Amino acid sequence: MTAFWVLQTLNALQYAALLFLISAGLSVSFGLMGFVNLAHGALYMLGAYIGISVSHMFGFWPALVLSPLATACIGAMLHLTLLRRVAKQGPMPQVLVSFGLVFIAVELVRILWGDIPLTLDPPALLSSGVALAGISYPAYRLFVIAMGAALATGLYLGITRTMLGAALRAATENPAAARSIGIRTERLFLGVFTLGAGLAGLGGVMAVPVVSASSSMAVTALIPALIVTVIGGMGSVTGAIAGALIVAVIEVFGAALWPDASAVLVYLVLAAVLILRPQGLLAGTRAA
Amino acid sequence: MFRLTALRKAALTLTLLVLAAAAITGDYFARDIVAEIATLTILVIALELAAGFGGMVSLAHGAIMGVGAYGYALAGLAGMSAWPASLAGIAAAAIFGGAVGAACARTEGIFFIMATLAFGQMAWAFTFRADALGGDNGLGGIDRPSLPFADSADPLVFALYALSVLVLVILMTVAILRSPFGRSLQAVHENPARAEAIGLPARRIRIAGFTLSSALAGMAGVLAAQHIQFVSPDLMIWTASGEALVVLILGGIGTLAGPVLGAAIFVALKHWAAGFTDHWHLLIGALLILVVLAGGRGLFGQLETRLRHDRD
Repeated sequence: MTAFWVLQTLNALQYAALLFLISAGLSVSFGLMGFVNLAHGALYMLGAYIGISVSHMFGFWPALVLSPLATACIGAMLHLTLLRRVAKQGPMPQVLVSFGLVFIAVELVRILWGDIPLTLDPPALLSSGVALAGISYPAYRLFVIAMGAALATGLYLGITRTMLGAALRAATENPAAARSIGIRTERLFLGVFTLGAGLAGLGGVMAVPVVSASSSMAVTALIPALIVTVIGGMGSVTGAIAGALIVAVIEVFGAALWPDASAVLVYLVLAAVLILRPQGLLAGTRAA
Repeated sequence: MFRLTALRKAALTLTLLVLAAAAITGDYFARDIVAEIATLTILVIALELAAGFGGMVSLAHGAIMGVGAYGYALAGLAGMSAWPASLAGIAAAAIFGGAVGAACARTEGIFFIMATLAFGQMAWAFTFRADALGGDNGLGGIDRPSLPFADSADPLVFALYALSVLVLVILMTVAILRSPFGRSLQAVHENPARAEAIGLPARRIRIAGFTLSSALAGMAGVLAAQHIQFVSPDLMIWTASGEALVVLILGGIGTLAGPVLGAAIFVALKHWAAGFTDHWHLLIGALLILVVLAGGRGLFGQLETRLRHDRD
């Protein structure tokens, strides 16, 4: 019985780590710029596919670095050319332009990589199982949990403890006042957006050895990420952490304990949050 | 405020006539496409009522349409004949949509969009898993309504029937928009604070508007079920709502003629592009971004603006 709980808990943590990587960027660019980037899932998908190609050429570890860099560059380019322009125009143009980008990204992936789902083996170093509390758990999945925890801690400390984080919080709270004391909000936002895109790409490449890559990822990854963002509260890293843990626990334990209801369970929680606390559970502690 | 200008009237009539002519002179595929255009147009008009006039951009309308389709299918399988089953489908969509509208009415802007997206996905996930609804296999064996003097199994008859339902929806939407209720809905959208100040119950009006729009989406669902004679969770997935939004923007929001023109062009483009490339979504994506960058008025909106400037 303990084996079951240990296994499900690890699965939930591993899923939460991947969810956090997608949601952190979405949530922060959302909270900072009020920009809902429906194409965020597409960046995650691109991260996965670029990761596969790089991995075939140079191996997994270079892919883990190069693929997020590539998606970060794509994110920065999109921000500079297109998204910055529509960010100020209200929700409708944002939804439409990022929706258009999803269409384009999905088709590009289908053209470049084909329609067949692709997989990637975990690196040799992490391909074995680790004995843990009576069960054997894949080392790669433990690595995913560790990476997620490290990045969550890093982001949290970065935002709460550094000057850059302070500037970021100021720019979110009141962009006009932040600009007047010399904070270059535009550059800050570009940086945050680029970082978010990179995190999505990192999530993508890390996810492939666990779940295979397909062109439907752009959409299937976006929905849980949006749910995490809404539950946790927008623009908050702690919110993204809490949201990712909540959604992962509901999904993993729901599927194991009450499979009939699991499909709807997470949406019910989301509906409850929206009705009771439309601003999200941890909003108010914005950007922290 | 909505005005059915001469230009809008002309564009509506002309598009409908072209569609009818295409159905009458065309082959089996043309008739099938006309029925598909009519269905999509009804869904987009429903979205137009909520988003264009009520300011409630919904990503749940695909799911609401799906509820209408499933309502019709289940009522038919339970032994109801086609016409009462249609009413059951429309009522199911209105009730589901009304509940979604009530749950989301407190949120605004992007939060409203995401909340509707979540509820739409919930309906999809539920349908996908529910064995009683056929799960991901869907439900087949759905009847078409029996028509006086004509056989609805004939593609031409069905295309013309679909167009008549579309005309009915257009007339109903015009009547709603011209009614005191329709004016209140637009007032709440334009300036919520002022609308409240003159005594309009904004929240209740928004919910009622969303419910009416859901009933129209239900009509699209019923028509879709009658057309394909098969329902599956695919009807409900959020990209269906997104596609309807695309068509609305492509055609021109807040004009009523825009959705009709937009849907006709969208479906035609889809079938034309699908003829030589598997990747027609690429085209749609690029077109969408171009329309937004061009000012977001849509094809019909551009036309209207241009003609108005010429006259000035």
